[in-house]
Amino acid sequence: MALDLARLSRSLPWIALAVGLVVPFLAQGSLYLLTTASIALVFIIYTEAWNFLAASGQGSLGHAAFFGLGAYASALIATSFGLPPLLTSFLGGLFAAAIGVLIGLTCVRLKEWFLAMVTFGFAIIIQTLMVSPFAGISGGWDGTAAPPLVSSSVPFAPFVQYYLILAVLIGVLIGFRHLLTGRTGLAFAAIRENETEARASGIDPVRYKLFAFALSAAVAGVAGALEVHQFAYVTPEIFGTDYSFWPIVYAISGGLGTLAGPIVGTIAITILWEGLRGLGLTYARFVIIGLLLIVIVIFLPKGLISLPERLRDWRGRRGEPPP
Amino acid sequence: MGRDRDSMKITYLILIAGLVLGAGLVAGCSTPGEAGDALKIGVVASMTGPASTTGRDMWQSAQLAADEINAEGGITVGGKNMTIELVQGDDESTREGGIKAVTKMITDDRVDLLVGGFSSAVVTAHQSIVAEKGVPYIVTGASSPTITRRTDINTSMIFHHCPTTDDYGAKTTIFVDEVIRPAVNAQFGRPEAQPLRLAVIYQDSPYGKGVLEAVNETIAENRLPIEIVAEEGYKMGETDFRSLLTSVKATRPDVAYPAAFLNEQVPMLTQARRDVGLDTIFLAVECNDDPDYYRGLGQYGDASVIESRFSPYAVPRGAISARVEQYRNDYQSRYGGFPGMMGASTYEGVYVAAAAVEKAGTAEKAEVITALTTIAVPEMIESMEGGVISFANPFRESRSNLYMEQLHWDAATQELRPTIVWPDELKETEFQLPGWYRPGERVTR
Amino acid sequence: MAIDPGTLLQILFWGLYAGCIYILLATGVNLIFGVMKTVNFAHGTLLMLGAYVTWSFFVATGINPYLLLGATIPVLLLFGVAIERLAFRPVLGSHKLNEIFLSIGLIYLFENGAALIWGSDYQSLRSPFESVVIDLGGFSLPLDYLIIILATAGMLAGLSVLLRRTRFGLALRATSQNRKAAQLSGINVERMDMLAFGIGAALAGAAGTLWAVSGQVFDPYMGSVPAVKAFAIVILGGLGSIPGAILGGLFYGVAESAATYTLGGAWKDAISFVVLIAVLVIRPTGLFGERGE
Repeated sequence: MALDLARLSRSLPWIALAVGLVVPFLAQGSLYLLTTASIALVFIIYTEAWNFLAASGQGSLGHAAFFGLGAYASALIATSFGLPPLLTSFLGGLFAAAIGVLIGLTCVRLKEWFLAMVTFGFAIIIQTLMVSPFAGISGGWDGTAAPPLVSSSVPFAPFVQYYLILAVLIGVLIGFRHLLTGRTGLAFAAIRENETEARASGIDPVRYKLFAFALSAAVAGVAGALEVHQFAYVTPEIFGTDYSFWPIVYAISGGLGTLAGPIVGTIAITILWEGLRGLGLTYARFVIIGLLLIVIVIFLPKGLISLPERLRDWRGRRGEPPP
Repeated sequence: MGRDRDSMKITYLILIAGLVLGAGLVAGCSTPGEAGDALKIGVVASMTGPASTTGRDMWQSAQLAADEINAEGGITVGGKNMTIELVQGDDESTREGGIKAVTKMITDDRVDLLVGGFSSAVVTAHQSIVAEKGVPYIVTGASSPTITRRTDINTSMIFHHCPTTDDYGAKTTIFVDEVIRPAVNAQFGRPEAQPLRLAVIYQDSPYGKGVLEAVNETIAENRLPIEIVAEEGYKMGETDFRSLLTSVKATRPDVAYPAAFLNEQVPMLTQARRDVGLDTIFLAVECNDDPDYYRGLGQYGDASVIESRFSPYAVPRGAISARVEQYRNDYQSRYGGFPGMMGASTYEGVYVAAAAVEKAGTAEKAEVITALTTIAVPEMIESMEGGVISFANPFRESRSNLYMEQLHWDAATQELRPTIVWPDELKETEFQLPGWYRPGERVTR
Repeated sequence: MAIDPGTLLQILFWGLYAGCIYILLATGVNLIFGVMKTVNFAHGTLLMLGAYVTWSFFVATGINPYLLLGATIPVLLLFGVAIERLAFRPVLGSHKLNEIFLSIGLIYLFENGAALIWGSDYQSLRSPFESVVIDLGGFSLPLDYLIIILATAGMLAGLSVLLRRTRFGLALRATSQNRKAAQLSGINVERMDMLAFGIGAALAGAAGTLWAVSGQVFDPYMGSVPAVKAFAIVILGGLGSIPGAILGGLFYGVAESAATYTLGGAWKDAISFVVLIAVLVIRPTGLFGERGE
């Protein structure tokens, strides 16, 4: 009996994968649902990236900088050199990673508040740079075109696009899982809890924090590139505060620091968002998101995925005999 | 221990099942498109998000147009009678929202045409899907000329019925040279050929920069005797312009041209006149022609100028005046409040769409697009060049007759009221320099 | 570039006025940080709410907006106390990141809640002294700005008296200097938290009133930009230091005014971040370090 359960909980990722593979068919041929799902996948990747950085104790409030830089780099390289967008997306990620290291260098010695403000500031600075001094390259406020991820001449292009993005997500998940369950994850946890003690036990926080910045920026950049190649156009609005805040909302709702958290959070909030819009709510939607965030931070700090655990605790506290 | 594995497992399964169910529910929410005797027009407007006031204006005007057409018996398409059915597409003022809404309208609701679109950033993001599916799209709200000039996708199905920053920048500059410059030179005894000193205060955005570029180009192309003495940019949403205005004042302009939104222009003018003492003629872009602007400015707006094409108060003489009054009254009695500019062009957009389908004799998208390229719809509530709405030019842009209004303080209503001062065909009163006006320089060159 | 003294005075003056708003915000942030050791990232929403509360009272009663400070301050005080008790207290002491994320939730809640209640269009207020202007030779001084500067000075003076002469004030300062010791000596530190947050909120609310009455427009989202500048000031002047907040606010207001005059407005916001980042790179704990950490 215990063996069966163990096997079942280990196969949960496979179940989730199966669902992910099958979603396009569940969409009943609705391009709208497929597009929504593809956008959701992009944001899952983006949220995973942010989450990885947060796991090292660095809560960035300006991750849109990397999302946008990856997007612009990929769009510009693809249009200038005619390279396939899938390839340039990764090149865009590399570019974002380089900037990530630079920004990370300014942030390594900063406490949480300062890091939050500095990352927020960088997003604003990068947007200003893009529209003023670099307007010649970036197209300024008009933005610039990006070749589509999957050319419309390919049969079943929207499906192919969805699976390509899904493949990238799976790759990202495997990579992060390997890192977070290994030495890197332990180091992150130590640094997050108490940096001084971590240093005392031989972990070099600077190296790990920079690595977190680089990889997080890279993945965020890839996500940004994948998004703009879907839309075929990129504009400076991509550096906006709302793009920085969404991954935070998704990751916290789902579960900070875990791999499943961003997935659960992004999907749950996206469905909530679309569903509420059907009810005609406008600002109320944001109010609800805000309330949800507050409630989760206070009562469910480990996010929605810790819900079963908390329910069990709650049940246990009501006087039921322990299992 | 088995108990928590149990509850964990069960909760996960419920979660996954819930997600699948949720996806199915959301799928069920969309109404499948039916072939019928209704012409489906998708209205792309921001019903939520920062641009929702304009979006609501656009949607409501579209509804007014559709209801009017249907009340007259709908349209006749190839012998058959069709009614207009509108589908609302809330783009949420975001790129993702826009692409989701437009995709839904095209593939799920199976709209025949699209009308609307406000933010250029949002529109450029969903243009590709519109181009791919070949859906005729009459853009009635976005002011960026890029929309029909993109080279990376086919834009032949996109028709721009809304003046661009090029248009208003150009017309305003010509007005400054034709009317204001002679007036200032005459009043202050300056030589006729003396150039006018213009200060441009622009919002750092595609809109503001677009206007700035248009002003510069117009001056260069027409060799106008206008000297730009200041180009001051500011961040969107700014409310404190005092230092900026002090800087502008130091350049001694004859005229100031802000390319700003209402919520910026009102404090800007108030602070200029009251705090900084910049007693010059202020121009304004058409998006400010709104009752809130008149109310917000109070006496500080006296003698200022707005470029416009549809005003809450002024009614241009001629063929359209009766219809403008009618439209305004209908809108007011149905929704309360004044219709805005984007609403006006969207109202016309629906009519143009209907006319194009009638002309094509079918709702087939390719034929409708062809009809739109050659159509000439008589002007309705906005004055158009040549009296018609036509897209027969390389970038499929309709040409409005933009006019300039001057504002006057009306003691009776204790509010500002506009009168049209240019062009001559629509002029109601002469442009006047107010008594408190101070030019940049009195000394003759 | 030769600037005539009249213009120079004007630039200084606008900077002084802008500085008042920043000072009130930064002081509030520092007060909260000093006692609770947490940065209230949602401080900008309190500024916005202050403006809207004043506006609501004004529309309903027509009373002079300056006098309405007497209404706005208590309302925001109570509101701040409520936020601390309901939202911040449960997460105080848990990971700092939680406090940041909580603030983001509060921002979403308050900005859009305000949009729901008052609509998202901008609003404005007319001061009854709008057309009153004092002539000072070189330039004219609108009376409103004089009142705003005096009001700010008055509030700061009041705060100083509160902190130095009253029992509550001394308890607040004790808590901010050493929380454990304060607790041991019988001070109810949790009540101090609520008080600090309430006063911080009240100061922000007063800033909102002054913002509204000076002819600046406001909408539900206007709080974020001034708040961010307040954070920059706080970092530069020293987290937790109230004199630092005052000097920093003054300096920042004037610097911003001068920068707009010389460099132009597009970089106005970004430049504050550039300076901030430059300072933090050199000294990661801010120019004057942190007090009581």
